[in-house]
Amino acid sequence: MRNRIIIPLVIALLALSAGFAYVHWSKGGTGSGLYSRHWTPDPVQGYWDPDNFYQSPDSVQGVFEGKLCVQCHEGITPGIVNDWRASRHAQSEEPVYCSDCHGNDHQQLRMPTPDICAKCHEKQHGEFQDEARYGFPSHVLAMERAVDAKHFVDKPTAEVQSCIQCHSAATKCDSCHSRHRFDAAEARRPEACITCHSGPPHPDDETYFASAHGKLYLAEGNDWDWSKPLIMGNYKAPTCAYCHMENGRHQVAHKSLWKFGLREVNPHTSKNQVLRKEWIKLCMDCHQEEESRQWLTELDQERKQAWQKLYAAEAILKNLRSEKLLQPPAGERPPYPMDWLDSLWPRERIGFFEGQASVFYNVSAIERDYFEMWYFDNLGAYKSAAHGNPAGVETGHRKMAASLDRIETQANELRELSQAEKKAGITTKPSGDLWMKGTYTDYNREHN
Amino acid sequence: MRRTIAWFLTLLAAHPALADEPVPPGPYTETECITCHTERDPNLIRQWREGSHSVTSGVGCHSCHGENHKESAVKARKDQICTGCHKGAASHSYSTSKHGIITRLEEARQDWRQPLQRGNYRTPGCSYCHLHNGDHGDTMAPGRGPEVRQWICAGCHSPRYIREQFANGKRQLEIADLKLAEGESLIVSAVDDQTDALSKLRQSLNHHRKNVLLGIGHQSPDYQWWHGQPALDGDLIRIRDRILQSSRRKSLADNLEE
Repeated sequence: MRNRIIIPLVIALLALSAGFAYVHWSKGGTGSGLYSRHWTPDPVQGYWDPDNFYQSPDSVQGVFEGKLCVQCHEGITPGIVNDWRASRHAQSEEPVYCSDCHGNDHQQLRMPTPDICAKCHEKQHGEFQDEARYGFPSHVLAMERAVDAKHFVDKPTAEVQSCIQCHSAATKCDSCHSRHRFDAAEARRPEACITCHSGPPHPDDETYFASAHGKLYLAEGNDWDWSKPLIMGNYKAPTCAYCHMENGRHQVAHKSLWKFGLREVNPHTSKNQVLRKEWIKLCMDCHQEEESRQWLTELDQERKQAWQKLYAAEAILKNLRSEKLLQPPAGERPPYPMDWLDSLWPRERIGFFEGQASVFYNVSAIERDYFEMWYFDNLGAYKSAAHGNPAGVETGHRKMAASLDRIETQANELRELSQAEKKAGITTKPSGDLWMKGTYTDYNREHN
Repeated sequence: MRRTIAWFLTLLAAHPALADEPVPPGPYTETECITCHTERDPNLIRQWREGSHSVTSGVGCHSCHGENHKESAVKARKDQICTGCHKGAASHSYSTSKHGIITRLEEARQDWRQPLQRGNYRTPGCSYCHLHNGDHGDTMAPGRGPEVRQWICAGCHSPRYIREQFANGKRQLEIADLKLAEGESLIVSAVDDQTDALSKLRQSLNHHRKNVLLGIGHQSPDYQWWHGQPALDGDLIRIRDRILQSSRRKSLADNLEE
């Protein structure tokens, strides 16, 4: 009897520690994250993830005091010195010099990471780090989630540098507090967010600027006093930071109700209700309680409609998969190089939990159509709904309906084609090696 | 190389004297502008004549500077003058970049009377990079060589940072070109497809490759990525799918004939 408990317990403990050891080992490669042994960083990556990859320059020898740095750089890089001079760092009674953040020794200079900023800005840094408990999407987890994505590891490192420019919000404070002014007033403005929060999957810029709030900001925002804290009464209309970082709280994800629109969320859980109350409280800075609650309910309804369409498309794709009609099938596409499980059991990824986020290359056209429907059309609709842009909601849903229609038509065509082929006795693999070769495809295979 | 050296020499020989001379306020005709400035600043007129504005689009002094002398330089230095014509991806890739957003936010505080030289602008606007130091040929044109571009960026950034960014940009563009070549060779091989679908996809490839270039040049991650690389991946999928569909239909038709 005793053995029945002890033996499984020992096996479980061994398996658990082996798992931990494996993860620890897998993080010990030239890259970073779970697949670090499968990639080597592009030389520019040191600037986006300095903690992991920055190497000090060896150009100038010597140990310099802050004032000397300024004197010399005034001639070499006057732009950043001017910027620093206009900053609070330079204008405070005890100025924060270059060397306070970068170090004194020119051959051991460091690229400041959030830890360095935390020496003075402890509260903000603490809040920022604590954002991890709200999960992803969030700023603090942005870099590790980026490098842990299989497509990041699969694609050439030079190509995916464009991803981590934005995902560096986790690893550098100057993504929002642009160097070397580090002006809080500037970071409070919506423009501080839009370099990353724009484009097809997250058109936060367009959808906010098209809303009544955004239009008011565009018309009058230049005249507002941006040095004021983000609290009730200080701003005539809410901005990105006013709602998502109320009172300067450095946790953008802390009220995340619908998780970016990426997956379906049950609006009736107690956790969701708590977050909902926080939103309503915030809206009540200007609006009535009932009105605020109603908007959130409308957003629930919009999400419900969106997921009905998305699930309908997913069902079509899953049926095609079980009928083996997706062409080429997973086994006849370039696999992720490090994914040995995939090569043993090739399977098309359909839906959020199967890795839908990577289904944008090396897949069949109908799967790519669903990726765009989910990642572009759906998120466009969601962002429009969340930011109060009804026209954008309508456009997003119209696009989703059109995508669903196209997916249905394509599925029928695939089915008819396959039946006709069977009838005619054609048994050859239709795609051959069409997906496996090409200048880029070969390069990608050889450079991983 | 000789042009690059000459360009650096003009940097050294600043010429503020012209601005100091009292000039009647205008308005002036296009011919009057050119006649007078050819005499005072022949280099500038030559740059404009040889540049793309004069050669291909017929953009003259008035288009950017207006007809009057007062504030004519200030007017032409601001982004709005450029974005009046350069709309779409060219303008959007810049306006959402860090440089673009700060330039917009700082517009009211910025002293636009300052020459387009290092240290005078917090962030580069269109004119700071493309008409640096008032050079009326495009200082960012590929033919101008990397030295000029490096000098312009180096007003704020370290030489190594610039070098790495340029090198990465070059690699990103090479990757986009590999995708372009992959698409092109697939299209050329597709003899069975009689529709215009593939020629549309070829246009799409070129469009997305240009987005990658704009994303790199204007430092917009979104144009490098969502409007660029994955969009090219999508084009490749659709080209292949088109070819696959055509070949399946063709072998079906052949089979029926037999």
